Amino acid sequence: MSEAKKGSYRRKKTLIAYSFIAPNFIGFFILTFLPIIFSFVLSVCEWDAGNTSQITFVGLDNFMRMAKDSTFKISFKNTIYYTVGVVPATLILSLLLAMLMNCQIKGRTFFRSVVFFPYVASLVAVGVVWNALFHPDNGPVNQLLMAIGIQNPPRWAADIKWAMPTLILLSIWKNVGYYTVVYLAALQGVPSELYEAAKMDGANGLQRFRYITWPMVTPSTFFVAIMLTIYTFKVFDLMYITTQGGPGRATNVLVYHLYNQAFISLKFGYASAIAMVLFVIILVITLFQFQFEKKFTSYL
Amino acid sequence: MKKRRMWAGLMAGAMAVGSLAGCGGGGASTTAAPTTAASQTETTAAAAGGDTTTAAASGEQVTIKVSLWDYSNTDYYKTIFSAFEAKYPNIKVEAVEASSAEYDDLIQVKMASKEDFDVVFTKGTPALSALVAKGHVLELDDYIAQSGIDEAVYSGLTQQMQLNGKTYAVPFRKDNNLLFYNKDLFDAAGVAYPEDGMTMDEFREMAKTLTSGEGSSKVYGAHIHTWASNVNQYARRTEEYDPWGNDKSVLLPYYETILAMQNEDKSVMDYGSLKSSSTHYSGVFYNQQAAMMQMGTWFINMMLENADFNWGVCSLPNMTGEGNTKAVGGVTPVSIGAYAKHPEEAWKFIEYVCGEEGALVLADCGIVPGYTSDKVNEIFDALADKKPGIPENLSKYIDIDTYVIEQPMHPQGREADKIITEEHDLIMTNSISAADGLQEMTERVNEVLGQ
Amino acid sequence: MYSSLKKKNPALYYLSQVLLYGALILGALIMLTPFAWMLSASFKAQKDVFNFPIQWIPPEWHPENYQRIWVQIPLIKYFLNTAKLTVIITIIQLITSSFAAYAFAKLEFKGRDQLFLLYVMTIAIPWQVYMVPQYIMMGKLHLTDSHLGLILMHTFTAFGVFLIRQFYVGIPNELIEAARIDGLSEYGIWARIMLPLSKPSIATLCITSFVNEWNDFMGPLIYLSTDSKKTLQLGLRLFNGQYSSEYQLIMAASVVSLIPVFIMFISLQKYFVEGIATSGMKG
Repeated sequence: MSEAKKGSYRRKKTLIAYSFIAPNFIGFFILTFLPIIFSFVLSVCEWDAGNTSQITFVGLDNFMRMAKDSTFKISFKNTIYYTVGVVPATLILSLLLAMLMNCQIKGRTFFRSVVFFPYVASLVAVGVVWNALFHPDNGPVNQLLMAIGIQNPPRWAADIKWAMPTLILLSIWKNVGYYTVVYLAALQGVPSELYEAAKMDGANGLQRFRYITWPMVTPSTFFVAIMLTIYTFKVFDLMYITTQGGPGRATNVLVYHLYNQAFISLKFGYASAIAMVLFVIILVITLFQFQFEKKFTSYL
Repeated sequence: MKKRRMWAGLMAGAMAVGSLAGCGGGGASTTAAPTTAASQTETTAAAAGGDTTTAAASGEQVTIKVSLWDYSNTDYYKTIFSAFEAKYPNIKVEAVEASSAEYDDLIQVKMASKEDFDVVFTKGTPALSALVAKGHVLELDDYIAQSGIDEAVYSGLTQQMQLNGKTYAVPFRKDNNLLFYNKDLFDAAGVAYPEDGMTMDEFREMAKTLTSGEGSSKVYGAHIHTWASNVNQYARRTEEYDPWGNDKSVLLPYYETILAMQNEDKSVMDYGSLKSSSTHYSGVFYNQQAAMMQMGTWFINMMLENADFNWGVCSLPNMTGEGNTKAVGGVTPVSIGAYAKHPEEAWKFIEYVCGEEGALVLADCGIVPGYTSDKVNEIFDALADKKPGIPENLSKYIDIDTYVIEQPMHPQGREADKIITEEHDLIMTNSISAADGLQEMTERVNEVLGQ
Repeated sequence: MYSSLKKKNPALYYLSQVLLYGALILGALIMLTPFAWMLSASFKAQKDVFNFPIQWIPPEWHPENYQRIWVQIPLIKYFLNTAKLTVIITIIQLITSSFAAYAFAKLEFKGRDQLFLLYVMTIAIPWQVYMVPQYIMMGKLHLTDSHLGLILMHTFTAFGVFLIRQFYVGIPNELIEAARIDGLSEYGIWARIMLPLSKPSIATLCITSFVNEWNDFMGPLIYLSTDSKKTLQLGLRLFNGQYSSEYQLIMAASVVSLIPVFIMFISLQKYFVEGIATSGMKG
């Protein structure tokens, strides 16, 4: 094949590849990517969502402002709190549930659907139910706690100390089903011969989990961890619909703060700067997780 | 947040209006009421806007876009709008409705993208200030001058809706806060009705005496709703308290009284409990679970429809015993959008809905219009004839010379208001002492307002 | 592996069975309780919703709650709008995503990996931050207050491409090479080989996209202002605002809104499990 022919062949291949990407990419580029670039630029500017001609460059002022913004610090801590509360618990619970369901049980489809239900339900509907169930005085949860002898049950969403745990519980409840199904699928991929062989060697249940189940589901664990971390750092709707960040600022998280800065305080530049911080954090965590995964899986 | 809730309540009220006689669509007798003031201005308004062609004058059909919330379930809007269309056959009104709870946020986004709304309703002064600061609404002083409107009919509210000395809106509605009370519960407890000029201590004692029963049949002396305004309006009315001022400590005795009622006397429902169940204040009062409640005048309209007991109103208590000399409350401002295609027609519309024609339709539903006149007062006093139990002296409480606007115009008003709500939340859930909460409130408000 | 235990030590076997089902049923109860409360409240009279102690079976039945919701808010219209948006977005998203995913997974061209990284990174950016620039742009294109605008905005997502690409990477290259030798064009390979093979990942994207669209609240809130174009979640929210004390109606409306997604999940769940498995393993 001549060089020229090779070149034209490669060009043709590239063109075909582009033709595959184009339908999605053009829409994505115009409608999502350009606005994102715009908000990147805004993070070093000041803008109140008036005329676009009023955008002024302010350098790193927006980032400096964070150091003095008490709500930023609180919402940052709350986001970490929420992430730490949700990610490990969801991960462990979903793995446990998946292992239960991976046993030879009757009604597996039923259990799988039941676990998945909360995930498909809308937050608008679920938020109302949750508030009713955890109502500090009349809620069934506290009625139950009092019935078993707990004199002063938590006041849940009405208490600054308990508001965040209440939301964490709601999140775990709502999302555990999705990840259970992820794990379930991974577990079904583990050859049963492995377990049989381990048993022959006299491994107990814990050892079988430690040396077979856990390594085999590691790739799924990374997937779950990454998706969950991104989700928890970006959480917004949950607070917007249930607590509006309250009581006080007890459930104010980064994206909720960012939203208020944009729409209530009209500081779009500052809001974009907060988003940049969020973006960098997620990126670092994700890259870290990827690195860890590489090390971990190559060691296997 | 407080605003949102308040308006959710307001809308529930507006819904109730639907079935009230005279508030249904179309045939209400009041819509035909002629006013000379408004019809005279029809010709003068045309000159104001410069190069925009006045389509109405040339006989061409024009459609104006009006941005508002909860249009579809509020009948008085339809009544007023169709009466306006009947009067100006060349102008059609297209109502663009948005969800009530998110309206304030939404209108900021829409105006940022230069939506061509001709008329923009806002939920109050903080939201209006934000639109003004960004140049999203037009200045109205020239229109007002050319129409020759006597601003006295708006109880000084047009001045209070100024920013940098310029007017940007006309009040469609105004709502001052009153103490509503259930006469039947007072009679049953053998307690004399509350009167104007009550002090906070008297209010507390009265609530304590009225509290009786246990569990779900408990009757509370008063209902303090979860909005910060349900504590600070007592002090705002006497102008001791300025929401954007640099010292919130004047609120301390008010918070102490209300907290004592909640924590010690248990004469009001628990704040955290109310918040968790998002209990609506109206149910508490209709079901006679509370004898007294501070609420805006929109509640009159809701009471007309829903209360089957005898009730009354008086002015808010306070520390010094100030009587019914001043009113405190909010407004529903109406403005012309900065990107309006038909500002002339928009102004005609505003003049009409905020003028006597619009006012009479509102008054007939028990809604207090921004526009005040003897006719409006007469309608309010006649409401007592509609149904037993309604007080006869309502006009005394809606037409008050000094009207203190609860949140003065300020571009960062919404942000400061959010802080006030957050700290209120902390104080009322006993997460922080009232003194510390107010200290924090002061510092944070000062910070965002740059004081 | 339990079968051997059954013979060797029946007591231990039955004990483990009891524990297993006990745990599963407890889990199921926790998952279902809120829905049970929702369902029970939706049939109650307003005064009974918060009765103490809880009554799971309504003391008086009020099935007319379900009638009232349709009268008070044009829910049917909202329902149809939501269904229309959800179906169109899901379908177009499936096609364009799997199309692009094929190129990212199996075709070689300059800048492929960089472009893919770009896609993936945008997933980490919260929508709230670019919502306003996006809205302004949509306004310039006259796409606000239209279903078309929402469709365009939600169809071309990075997530869909990411998800399906993860699956495609796992399909052996030999399969594709063989097809090329047989003279199948790249489009042919996509249509005849990749698409049929990727049923599970398509089912996954399908349910994810369906759930997201059906439950989306902020998008329609900002984009749709004409009443006749609004969606179910907006209706629900309107409901919660207007009937904040009428829990029984809110619950009835919630129950109705949940039914389609449940049906969708149950009918797709077989494929769904396999779908996540693959993207999970490779992710």
